[in-house]
Amino acid sequence: MQKSIEKTGRLLLAMTLTLGVAFGAQAAGSDKSKEGDFVRGARAWAENCTRCHNVRDPKELRDDQWKTTVTHMRVRGGLTGQQTRDIIKFMQESN
Amino acid sequence: MRFKKTLLACVVGLAISQTASARSDLEQLKAEVEALKQEVASAAEWKSPRTLVHMAGYASVGYTDTQNEPGTFKMGNFSPIFHYQFSDLVMLESELEFEVDEVGNTDVSLEYLTIDWFMNDHAALVAGRFLSPLGNFRQNMHPSWINKMASAPVGFGHDQAAPNGDVGLQVRGGFALGGANANYAVFLGNGPTLEANGFGGFEKLESPGLNGNGDGTFVGGGRFGMLFPDKKLELGLSAATGDIDIRTSTSGPVYEGLKRDYSVLGADLTWRPGNFDVRAEYIRQSVGSRAASSVPGSADWTAWYGQVAYRFYPSKWEAVARYSNYDTPGEENDRVQLAGGVNYLFESNFIGKLDYESNDNPNDGYEADNRFLVQLAYGF
Repeated sequence: MQKSIEKTGRLLLAMTLTLGVAFGAQAAGSDKSKEGDFVRGARAWAENCTRCHNVRDPKELRDDQWKTTVTHMRVRGGLTGQQTRDIIKFMQESN
Repeated sequence: MRFKKTLLACVVGLAISQTASARSDLEQLKAEVEALKQEVASAAEWKSPRTLVHMAGYASVGYTDTQNEPGTFKMGNFSPIFHYQFSDLVMLESELEFEVDEVGNTDVSLEYLTIDWFMNDHAALVAGRFLSPLGNFRQNMHPSWINKMASAPVGFGHDQAAPNGDVGLQVRGGFALGGANANYAVFLGNGPTLEANGFGGFEKLESPGLNGNGDGTFVGGGRFGMLFPDKKLELGLSAATGDIDIRTSTSGPVYEGLKRDYSVLGADLTWRPGNFDVRAEYIRQSVGSRAASSVPGSADWTAWYGQVAYRFYPSKWEAVARYSNYDTPGEENDRVQLAGGVNYLFESNFIGKLDYESNDNPNDGYEADNRFLVQLAYGF
């Protein structure tokens, strides 16, 4: 029981540290721009989408569909929020 | 003279009548234009709503001809994925899986259901039932339109060596690290379930995503990946640890009450030089020994695979070869598989596959059947 509590404690500590790193990375991101950027989006799209699957044609989906799809891929692929906004911008302006 | 007056009266009357009719048409036209304007304005209001709803998913159908068995048509699976997103704050994601068994019954399962809270640009809290973040194939490569072969590598199917899912909490995200992009996922969940076979060995180790914590222990871990964009290379390391207990009843959460160590270790590689697509992954789940248990010994479930695909641009043809190996505590389910196939990409998300698998059980006294597989996969 004691061992189990220790293990769970270590895991919770690891998650807390991860959150700390994540928030720290956010705070350190002085060059962050909230708006999506077409050129950066094209690059992020080329670098990330083919990590797992064949590249999808921007014309496959409407603007609103690209927003949900790329947000889903943010979670799946470990993209940053900025990369997500950039890719959404690129897909929405290329469809 | 009288005739001329009558004719003039008729012409004037007709003209007045037509003018009135034209006015009426004009009024109607104006009303229709106004209604149309309102409809367009109303539609524009919904071009950027704060809540978005979208359905995606994938499905596959095929034909399998297994050695020593009759060939059979197959409905692989239908897996709709639902996305509900509110602004950039939160997204609900859920995937269902519909499958039809050999006697025609339809099975439905909830692959995952999570509420994803985007805390900041580098971290999302993912809560609910999720695909295991350990390794790469189970969480990212298994959908039929993504997997370049018609089957999963041996050991990477449902409830084999690669953990399938869990219920709990995850934090996932990414950040720049030097010239590379790092991505991570850490989780804490209810963990897998372990069953004995009644003969002093283990029957199975499953991680379907238990909606309960009957053995009173959590399992935690994660994956850390580094993507080097200029080299088109991604490397990932996965690990998890916790305790596990043998479930003694298949119908309920009844356990032995004797906890033992549980751990997972994995590594994965993705490399895409030129027209090649190279993937490899290793995963091992281990349970420790425990004296006084009905199964006192320790055990490992280990699997690995390597796959190379080559796209013949500008054509739509692709060739793929894969070697995979699955080692279990028993002997019956061990597999060594060499598989090869060709794919035709009608579109990037609509793929025809023709594969041949050479399957072998390396243990004396066991055999595994070879098979041909044909599959049409569509991701939508």
